[in-house]
Order: sequence, then C-alpha cells, then structure tokens
Amino acid sequence: MTKKEVKKIFIKGIFTDNPVLVQVIGICSALAVTNLMMNSLIMGIALSLVTAFSSLTVSLLKDHTPKHIRMMVQVLIISAYVIMVDIYLKAYMPEMSKALGPYVGLIITNCIIMGRAEGFAQSNPPMPSFFDGLASGLGYTAVLLTISFIREILGFGSIFGISLIPQSITRWTLMVMPPSAFFILACIMWVFNNNRLKKQREGVEKK
Amino acid sequence: MKNSFIYPIIFMALVTAVFITVLAGLNYVTADTIAFNQQNQLRQKILYIFDMVPDGGTDKDIERVFNENVIEKQWGDLKGYALVEGGQEIGYAVPINGAGLWGSITGYVGLNKDYTEIIGIEFVTQSETPGLGGRISENSYKDQYRGIDISGKTDNFIISSPQPDSNVDAIAGATQTSAAVVKIVNENIKLFFREVE
Repeated sequence: MTKKEVKKIFIKGIFTDNPVLVQVIGICSALAVTNLMMNSLIMGIALSLVTAFSSLTVSLLKDHTPKHIRMMVQVLIISAYVIMVDIYLKAYMPEMSKALGPYVGLIITNCIIMGRAEGFAQSNPPMPSFFDGLASGLGYTAVLLTISFIREILGFGSIFGISLIPQSITRWTLMVMPPSAFFILACIMWVFNNNRLKKQREGVEKK
Repeated sequence: MKNSFIYPIIFMALVTAVFITVLAGLNYVTADTIAFNQQNQLRQKILYIFDMVPDGGTDKDIERVFNENVIEKQWGDLKGYALVEGGQEIGYAVPINGAGLWGSITGYVGLNKDYTEIIGIEFVTQSETPGLGGRISENSYKDQYRGIDISGKTDNFIISSPQPDSNVDAIAGATQTSAAVVKIVNENIKLFFREVE
C-alpha cells in the first residue's frame, strides 16, 4: 500500500466524501453531543476508533464470511467494539461517560460504521479498510468540532471548558439547546457543498 | 463448503464466542474500577452536602474522609446518611426526589442535627436543559442552600425569588426547573419531618 493511496483515502474520508456533509449519515449524534467541544472530541475519537477497528475486522474476516450472514457478523463486530469503548469510558473516564450518556451505546447505530463496513471493508484488504474507517471517523469528528465550537462559544462563552467571554455578555441560550445544531449543521453543509459543487463545475469546464 | 447449511451457523457461533470471551475478560478486569467510580460519585456528593469534600482530593481521599465521618442512616422508608463527629450525629443527608421539567430529579438535602437549618443540597440525577435548568448542578446555585434557617417552619422552607422573603434565587431562563426544585425540597423535608416524628 503506497503513501499516495493512504493520502487519497484520507482526503476522501475527510473532504470529498465526508460522511456527515456529503453522504449525510451519522447526523443524529452530530446534533446530540455537540453542545460542548470536549463531548464532541471524545465522541469523535470513540467513533473513529470503532469505525477503524470494525472495518479492519470485517475486512480480515470477509473471505471466510458467508455472504448471506455478513450483516449479522458486521453488527456483532461493531457492537463488540462499542461495548469495549463504553466499558473503557466507564472505568477510566467516568465524568465523560456521564456527559455522553446513552450516546456511547448508540454509536452502534451510527450509519457511518455500517456504511464503511459494507461500502469499503467488505471488498478491500485490511489495512486500507482500517485507514478508510479512521478517515471517515476523522471527517465526522471535524464536523462535530466545528458545530460544537460555534455552540460552545456562543452558548457557554467558553472553548473546551475554558471561559473566554466575560459573564457580563448575555449567553445565547438557543445555542445550548439541540435545535441550534440543526441550523448550524445546515449552514455548514450549505457552504461546504456550494464550494464542492462549484469546484466540480469548474473542473468540468476546464476539461 | 461456504454455501453449506451448517457452515454459517458454525461460523457465527465461533465469531460470537471469540467476541464474548474478549468482552467478558474486559468486563471482569474493569468491574471493580467501575463499581468504585460509581460509589465514589455518590460519596463525593454526600461529602459536598456536609461541605467536607477534600480540596484537590483524589478518589482515595474521598473514600477515606467518607468512611471516617459518614454513616448510613434509615428513617422509616427513607434511606440517607448521617455525619458523625466524636460519636455524635451532627448532620443528616435526607433523600429527595420528584419531577423536574424533563425528568425526575433525585438527590439529597442536608439538615443539621436538630433539623433547624438546611446545610446543603446535591443532585444525584437530573435531566434538565443543559446550560439552563441544568445549572442547578452548579455550585453557584447549590451554595445558596447553605445555612438556611428553617426553625419553627412547618411548610415552605425554601422560598424562591421573586416572591417576598425569598431565601434562594431562581435561575434566570429556567423558571420551571427552579420552581420544581423548590417544590421537591419543601415536600421532601415535610415528608421527612413526618417520618421522624
């Protein structure tokens, strides 16, 4: 596997094929845990690891897995990794486990993982699958951090829990509530896809 | 062979067995740590009510201070904690629970030894709006419950602003949560008094 291939996978996962902005999958948790940047970061790391390792495992087992039960096997693999993350958080990061609440368990249902397992790992060798899962997870993390940056600075006046805006400035309470994530995510998608489509059109004209 | 009837069953059973073994092992290794974390969270909350959380204390410090000073106590159906100093009970943590705005709120309220003063409050579970009603878990709100004189009162121990003679400020933008907390505290203290009489 060459460096160029790895680079291509990462660019695809983070930019051109970003799971949240382009494929519009996994946005449920993107709306739910983005009130604080720390929550988003941990959620992003957890999802990246789960996606990377489940893609790796699915790819390793793919030659032995009968086609008609592959979905069952994938779900089993994904849930095993999610439970590992959940146990780890409970044991060594109890505060974070409390803040993320049920959303850690719900990583299982995140379409990104299943999407990468079905769409990539099932037909590619283990190492590219691992990087592909990691890249998609990072793409997801990047979007979450962007949303939570806007929500935390306006809603709590802080970044990663460090207060930056003086208390005297009134907080924008809507930013704390889940609906604000809808507006922000939609605006980010709008700008991102506008640019993406513009570039595509330019590319066509140049040819 | 892959298309035979029995192969998928064996394959699935094998994969499941492998993952279950891994998870069971992980669970076994971390079970004690997780149980300790959960107990310690409660210990820290009870110590907070009595204003005795060790400064910059580690988990071990919290466990030690808790075991040295606090005992479990039962009043009828109510299960709470008592603060002991020199063999004497000098304070109590009385369980409270009731409906908040989004879900139930549970916690403990601290009373001094002759039940004439509220000495603190702490919430164990609450699912109020983060940043609004959720701020009842912040110290700036909870510290208002330190040293409230309730001697001679039989009802309305806590009165929230903007009512006259208020002794606790409501949280701006979270009127319903603030009102719910006041109601929960008042009702549960009344219930507790009925229990100890």
